Amino acid sequence: MVEFRNVSYTYPSGQHALNRINLKIDDSEFAFVVGANGAGKSTLIKLILRELTATEGEVIVNGFNLSTMKKRKIPKLRRTIGVVFQDFRLIPNMTVYDNVAFALRVIDAPTKYIRARVPYVISLVGLTEKARSYPNDLSGGEQQRVALARALVNDPQLLIADEPTGNVDPARSFEIVDLLKAINACGTTVLMVTHQHDLVKYFGGRIININSGTIAFDEFIGGENET
Amino acid sequence: MRLSSFKYLVKQGFTGIWFNRINSFASLCVITISLMMVGISVLLSMNINSMIGSIESRNEVIVVITDGTPENNVALLGDQLRGNPNIFEVNFYSKDDAWAGMLETMTEEEKHDFRYIRENPLPDCYRIRVSDIDKLSKTVAEISSLDFVDSVQSPDDFASILVGIRNVTTLLFSAVTLSLIIVCFVIISNSTRASVYARRREINIMRYVGASKSFIEIPFFVEGLIIGLLSAGIAYGITWFAYKEVYAMFSSDVSMYSIFGLKALIPFDTIAIPTAVAYLVCGVILGALGTVVSARKHLNV
Repeated sequence: MVEFRNVSYTYPSGQHALNRINLKIDDSEFAFVVGANGAGKSTLIKLILRELTATEGEVIVNGFNLSTMKKRKIPKLRRTIGVVFQDFRLIPNMTVYDNVAFALRVIDAPTKYIRARVPYVISLVGLTEKARSYPNDLSGGEQQRVALARALVNDPQLLIADEPTGNVDPARSFEIVDLLKAINACGTTVLMVTHQHDLVKYFGGRIININSGTIAFDEFIGGENET
Repeated sequence: MRLSSFKYLVKQGFTGIWFNRINSFASLCVITISLMMVGISVLLSMNINSMIGSIESRNEVIVVITDGTPENNVALLGDQLRGNPNIFEVNFYSKDDAWAGMLETMTEEEKHDFRYIRENPLPDCYRIRVSDIDKLSKTVAEISSLDFVDSVQSPDDFASILVGIRNVTTLLFSAVTLSLIIVCFVIISNSTRASVYARRREINIMRYVGASKSFIEIPFFVEGLIIGLLSAGIAYGITWFAYKEVYAMFSSDVSMYSIFGLKALIPFDTIAIPTAVAYLVCGVILGALGTVVSARKHLNV
């Protein structure tokens, strides 16, 4: 669950990025976050990940109150969140398997668990055949699926996808969102930031439009795929 | 922490050294030189202290009597010396005894060179021993003020020269070592920054997936630890070799003994373990601590 209560954020330069935002995303929800460049989408994500701390108001994520949380607790919060970026952020000298396993290794997960969990998650994103390949040998869509597997491997409560289709061709973009929908159907809350209005129109659902640091629009719309 | 994680972190430390090998090598060299400078300085100081101790343990002062002093005045001087509370032993050593003693130590060739000397050039003297070595300077001053005393030769003179040498070398080595330690930290800091840059992708992902601060920092600690230990090993090896050579040179050269008049050098075997421990501890502190401090600064986790 993600909740913003009267949240404002002002950068040290004095730029107001968010202004008294109120927002609640329940468990197992799927929401698109849309808005122009500089509208405040990235700041919103950074506040959820506790990369930034709200200058005003309260941010609550998966039971953690980020406004009062101590710095040493940040890793615990982040273990409940999976993140996928537009530029994939895969490690080029690691295989698909190692890239996914990396997310578990660095949180001191047991080897047995890693050996069982990683192949399962790789199969979920349909890349079993490519487990021994390196990221540079994969297409953009496949690389994004590896990033998705890495985000999912720790079984997060919340999945944040920051422009996940930005570097993927249009046909594969729909596959990625389909995959995110399937993940959401299993109970994971998904928050997808995007610029691609065709995707939003096609899939529909909850749309949160941020404009000049405020929520301009927050409603459910029907998707073209439902008609 | 799990054993698998420990192995993983150690491996990451080695990987970091390899990826950043030029900077790692620079760190290794500068830590090695710094350790050697500290080590040589300490060993030199220890040996000089040992020499000073050896000289002081002999605590024999030679009181040279002015040439031509009548016998009764020589005896009077002896009584005055015995009356000094810090003098517990007074022995008269005549110029004839001194000449005979000197001839005994001479080779035939040297005796041949001295055959034309008709008159004994050596003075009469008293050889005295003091009770409290700490009051030696004061006692020497008291003796010097007595009548019929030409000069006083005390170990104090040689000891003070050695103390001077020790102080100068300690100051010199301290200054050089301090400079090297600063250079060490600068090089380690640069090396760590390069290492952080090389591993920026991993570090970034580690942050997002919830790796703890210590988990992110440990590979850098391991990297510094390995460099520190290697440096300590190399510095110890070089010091051991150099010390043995110097020790052998002093041990085999009789003229060195005649200069110093004592066997005060410390054999390396007796100080091998403390030296090794000191090198390891200093190497680890310089390497690991330096790296962790720099990593914290550059990682900003």
